[in-house]
Amino acid sequence: MINNLFKVVALVSLLVCSSVQAEIIVVVNNANAAALTKNDVSRIFLGKMKKYTPVNMSSGNALRAEFNKKALKKSSNQVKAYWSKLVFSGKGTPPKELASDAEIKAFVASNPNAIGYIDSASLDGTVKVALTLQ
Amino acid sequence: MKPTTLKSFCAGISLLVATSSYGADIDISGFATIAAGTTTSSEEQYLGFSNDFDFNQDSLFALQTSSNLENGFSVTAQLIARGRDDWSPSFEWAFLGYEVNDNWKILAGRQRAPFFMYSDFLDVSYAYHWISPPAGVYNLAFDSFDGIGSIYSSQLGEFDSTFHAVIGRNQDKITLPASVGGVEVKPDFKNLIGASWTLNRDWLTLRGGYFQADMTIPVAALDGLTGGWAASGFGSIADDLKAEEDKVWFAELGFQIDYDDIFVIGEFTRLDLKGTGFSNDDSYYISVGKRFDDISIHITYGADDDELENLLANVPTNVAALAPLYAATQGIIANEEREERYVTAGLKWDFHPVASFKFEVTQFEDNLDNQQDATLVKAALVTVF
Repeated sequence: MINNLFKVVALVSLLVCSSVQAEIIVVVNNANAAALTKNDVSRIFLGKMKKYTPVNMSSGNALRAEFNKKALKKSSNQVKAYWSKLVFSGKGTPPKELASDAEIKAFVASNPNAIGYIDSASLDGTVKVALTLQ
Repeated sequence: MKPTTLKSFCAGISLLVATSSYGADIDISGFATIAAGTTTSSEEQYLGFSNDFDFNQDSLFALQTSSNLENGFSVTAQLIARGRDDWSPSFEWAFLGYEVNDNWKILAGRQRAPFFMYSDFLDVSYAYHWISPPAGVYNLAFDSFDGIGSIYSSQLGEFDSTFHAVIGRNQDKITLPASVGGVEVKPDFKNLIGASWTLNRDWLTLRGGYFQADMTIPVAALDGLTGGWAASGFGSIADDLKAEEDKVWFAELGFQIDYDDIFVIGEFTRLDLKGTGFSNDDSYYISVGKRFDDISIHITYGADDDELENLLANVPTNVAALAPLYAATQGIIANEEREERYVTAGLKWDFHPVASFKFEVTQFEDNLDNQQDATLVKAALVTVF
């Protein structure tokens, strides 16, 4: 009985651990020395700070929904509504979209002003961490 | 859609896309509202709706193209077909933009005047919680103008500041109120000049605006009356009943709070049309809502008070010859007076990443004539693409 209980606890903890979500890291070009706050990242991805060229995950991507919630504090629909205000008044265009961590790393690595976000598991030497989103 | 309308719509689109042959990237995007509404009893009429289900009044379909040319130049054009105009499409905007630097953008051409908080995306229902912004406030004679706009964005301490100044003119046809003929006329709002200022910080947005213009609106139905006053030696009353290059102004104050799942929005506007024969107008609304994941609920209270100044203060009441003119002018003053209140309760359901379903019930009260009271029920599907 006790043995069985152990097994259950072990199984549950295994399930809980494996469902812990991946960390999102905001990455910039290796030549970029700036340290960024969460507020900076939010302003950059909402088109308010124009020093950087943000690049987004394509819509429907789970990491993007997570990023919207953690960095922009908005649901995906709210972000879409926010951009429709700017797009349909000719005041702004949403960030370019790419399909994978690899494409985002390649884009950031080749553009000095670029900024993107990827799963922390995909991090390698081609880009630099500017902020980790918990 | 009639075949001819469809044809002109397609012609418009190909016109929009035509610049692509010069090699610039063209972005095409669009939005649509399919709305249906009805009042709840047979005598009631409100905002163009009656007791028969109407699918045209608030429905629209729009396409926008924009293209970034080299060196900070861009071109934006928006074509909208509205159900209430028999789906005949027209260019809502067409302007050339020039980014002087990261903070300053200049727009030249046909563009939206930033009269209200929601002016920029007035027709993009997907971008806000109502089916359309409160009609009691959003009821100026025109929304777009031809001219120059200057948008300056900067940071003031913790606030993002946007200063949007405009100068231009509007001569778009309008339909006069039924009381003065109900006919279509071509007005002239010239020397339109003004600006709006928006401050935004995190969950708080504050804005204000002031605009003025020289207004001319030909009202043939009043020619007899104004001629009568002029002939009787009361030229100033004739002038005050005629909208001829009269200086008019409009001011707006608004705020928006979007904190966690709660949002509160309010706007107050004053329109001063002294000396034009049209009423001055004070109006406001306040709207409160809450988001639950994909569903938002909201309630809005609004008021709209119109008044024409008393033009007859200096007219003797005991002169028989003036009595008909006096009575007719009193009629106009009475007709221009409004005291309207409305409450709208609604729901928005984001059932798809780029589409929402909306449902609203509006209770409208006319404090001066309760025969005009009405209850309007509306539902809409809205999308951006």
